Amino acid sequence: MATDVCEKFLRLTGFEETEMPEYVPEFYRASEKLGLSEHDIRYATEEWIPAHFDIKLEGVRKLLGCLIRETVDLTKANEYKQKGVKIVFGIMPAILHFYYALKLTAPEEVYVSFPDMFLTVVMNGLFRKLNPYLEEAEQSGISYGCRHCALNKTRYAARRLGIIPSPDVSWIWGFVCDEGPKTDEFIQLYHDTEWKTYITRIPHDQPLGTVEDEVTERVQYLATQMKDGFAFLQKQIGIKVPDEKITEVIRIRQRYVKKLGELNRLMASDPQPLNGLVGALFHEPLSMPFNLGIEPMEKALDTTINEAKQRVASKKGVLPKGAPKLMVHVMPTALPWISKMFEENGVGLTFSEVSVPTKKQLMPPNYKDPYMAAAETWLRRSSTINAGYKAQLICEKLERYGIDGMVFGFFDFDRWLGSDHKLLARMVEEKTKLPVFYIEGDIWEDRDYSPEALRTRIETISEIVKMRRV
Amino acid sequence: MDIMEDLVKIARTRPEELKRQKEKNTKVIGYTGRFVPEELIYACGAVPYLICRGGEPDPPEAVLPYMLRFMSPFARSQVGYYLLGMDPVIPMLDLIVAQCDDCHMVRLADLFEYFHLPTVRIGVPPDWEKTLSVEYYYRGLTQLRERLELLTNTKVSNEKLGKSIDLINTIRDLLRNISLLRKNDPPPIGGYDFIRLNHSSFYCDLDKFAERLTSIYEQLKERERPFTEDAPRILLAGHVVSVGDYVVPKLIEDSGGVIVAEFLDEGMRQFSWNVETEGDLIKNLVQTYYLERIPPSIFQPGWHKRHEFMKKIIEDFRIDGVIWYQLSFEEIYDMESSIVSKSMDEMNIPFLKLESSYEYAREAMGPLTTRIESFIKSIK
Repeated sequence: MATDVCEKFLRLTGFEETEMPEYVPEFYRASEKLGLSEHDIRYATEEWIPAHFDIKLEGVRKLLGCLIRETVDLTKANEYKQKGVKIVFGIMPAILHFYYALKLTAPEEVYVSFPDMFLTVVMNGLFRKLNPYLEEAEQSGISYGCRHCALNKTRYAARRLGIIPSPDVSWIWGFVCDEGPKTDEFIQLYHDTEWKTYITRIPHDQPLGTVEDEVTERVQYLATQMKDGFAFLQKQIGIKVPDEKITEVIRIRQRYVKKLGELNRLMASDPQPLNGLVGALFHEPLSMPFNLGIEPMEKALDTTINEAKQRVASKKGVLPKGAPKLMVHVMPTALPWISKMFEENGVGLTFSEVSVPTKKQLMPPNYKDPYMAAAETWLRRSSTINAGYKAQLICEKLERYGIDGMVFGFFDFDRWLGSDHKLLARMVEEKTKLPVFYIEGDIWEDRDYSPEALRTRIETISEIVKMRRV
Repeated sequence: MDIMEDLVKIARTRPEELKRQKEKNTKVIGYTGRFVPEELIYACGAVPYLICRGGEPDPPEAVLPYMLRFMSPFARSQVGYYLLGMDPVIPMLDLIVAQCDDCHMVRLADLFEYFHLPTVRIGVPPDWEKTLSVEYYYRGLTQLRERLELLTNTKVSNEKLGKSIDLINTIRDLLRNISLLRKNDPPPIGGYDFIRLNHSSFYCDLDKFAERLTSIYEQLKERERPFTEDAPRILLAGHVVSVGDYVVPKLIEDSGGVIVAEFLDEGMRQFSWNVETEGDLIKNLVQTYYLERIPPSIFQPGWHKRHEFMKKIIEDFRIDGVIWYQLSFEEIYDMESSIVSKSMDEMNIPFLKLESSYEYAREAMGPLTTRIESFIKSIK
């Protein structure tokens, strides 16, 4: 692979010239492990990324750079393990406090990651090259036809392909789906007996509309689950984390969430200053732990906020003034063409529901105990809770940011996160009277639906939203 | 056997009987899944009704405006029958106790609630080996007992609960005895009949049912064997054969095989484990329902234990081939099938995976029949 191809790519993704001598060889090695060819990198540099990301903005380039750094770091996990660093994996959605607290306590002794998510967002989002991973899994026990989750397939494939090692602990959270944790059991029984797992679950048994973060018994149950899980994890890897570290993570997280809130407020400006994808990508450190820390992302976020402010002040945006804004349940960050296609039709896919905090989410927790606080924080989010409460949160967000409509879907593979969308669509539409849509699809991979197949649907939705606004 | 057809008929006409019971102010309690102990329902003088129908293509389709397409047709069917007006019992239920163990069943509970059907949920934590989870399920059963007491205005005393446990233990014993007759070669009863018999046990008056089962058992011992000596002995494994979904079991036996054992998580009365009748009876229910029975596929860890149990069945019942019957888009069973397939390969046991979306139109039946016939022939 020509060196200049790597350099151009790294330059595009916000790396400094001074970093090139050290980083080009690292990126080269990582590309080989990940299965990226010179053609793939050239395509990403010259066509895909410029077409889908607002690379005029320094903050966006730095953001992409953070994702690349983490992915390169991921490809070194085998080496870390050989050097005795403890490997801790997990799956999303999970409470990240504990992963970050581990890093705060023993930064050099532990490696944390949700490998499937990084690989999916980077390999498909930036390179359009996730398919070999999916096919590897499908040829080896996780069938294509059953609509399994691309994340689970990718995690399994990454292990099969030797990109990642067996973890010392994969702390898997079945708070949401069943398939995620069971995939770890599958990997262990079918492929890798060294794949060690700890499972944390909570039954979805709350009646529709229950405000779950206010049910003390439920918060307590979740807190105990977390405490037990974290105790197991610490014992397994031999690292003791003081409670203050968790409290510190909560403080850092709150600071980051506040900044995301500021970005969201800016996104609500007219004209919309940035592509909706950007806001969603900045949410990633709250969805998966960054082994290299949240700080680089925070710096990129600060830069982006400043750039967004400048655009708002000069009344510049990615869409014309008056263009409608939609909220999507989860922004398809691995498929940036989807938000782009909405924009091409004059509508912003501006907000990702999971990235937009409610008023309550911005408030500090009611509990001093770090586990109770983490549990309460988690139950304030829409991912785990019952559909009735979730619909209430969505309605609040739609109202708060003056959003013109909601798009559900792109989660047809997910028997939890996607399985209530049709019901949610009804509940939200009944309450808000806003236009609400459902699109069957997959936010991680698009082998089953091409841009052309979705174009008509998106054009129609865009027309309806624009007409409703007139 | 006439007596068996009688039972099936009684089960089929259950809605009329339940209507009569309702008119006499008896509460009728619907429930989903294997973790809602009928014992509690009987103990408060109510009548249970297992919501477990399937095998028809229209009900799962009917629910699509409210539910994701890639959900289990079994879960979708339960609401689908209601939406299509094809289930006369659900609208008259005084309460639905919805088991919440996996995503499919939880969404089913959501829809019951959304359609304003009186629903109470019972959480079943899949991380079942933790004390915390056991306590959670225990608390769930305790709360269910209180809820049922309130609804029926009947105190569930230890004596009443003990009696209902005894009664259901008797049914389990009888079903177990009948099932064990299938160790004979050839067996006096196949899986098609046994599954229907097992299903009937959910929809009959249990006292009378026990008498009939005893009689069936005696008749079966003397019965002329309906299967040939060389009929391959099949283990039918997977998630569920729901009430009415008899196409696959029948095809297996029409093709010359005989189902001598089932390894199914739902829809079957789990007869291999009885509930103790001494001490804290709720604790006993937890012990049997949650801890002693073979864990369902969703439990974690679960698969290793399940496969060890399958191997034991294969040995005990001298199984010639395993047919894995799963429903479309049941992601957990789909993954498990790969593991079972690998394990069967290692044991040199022929394995066939079948998947159904309850679509048994002529176009679907042809290939399905061919696959089953070929499999049976290949191991004959």
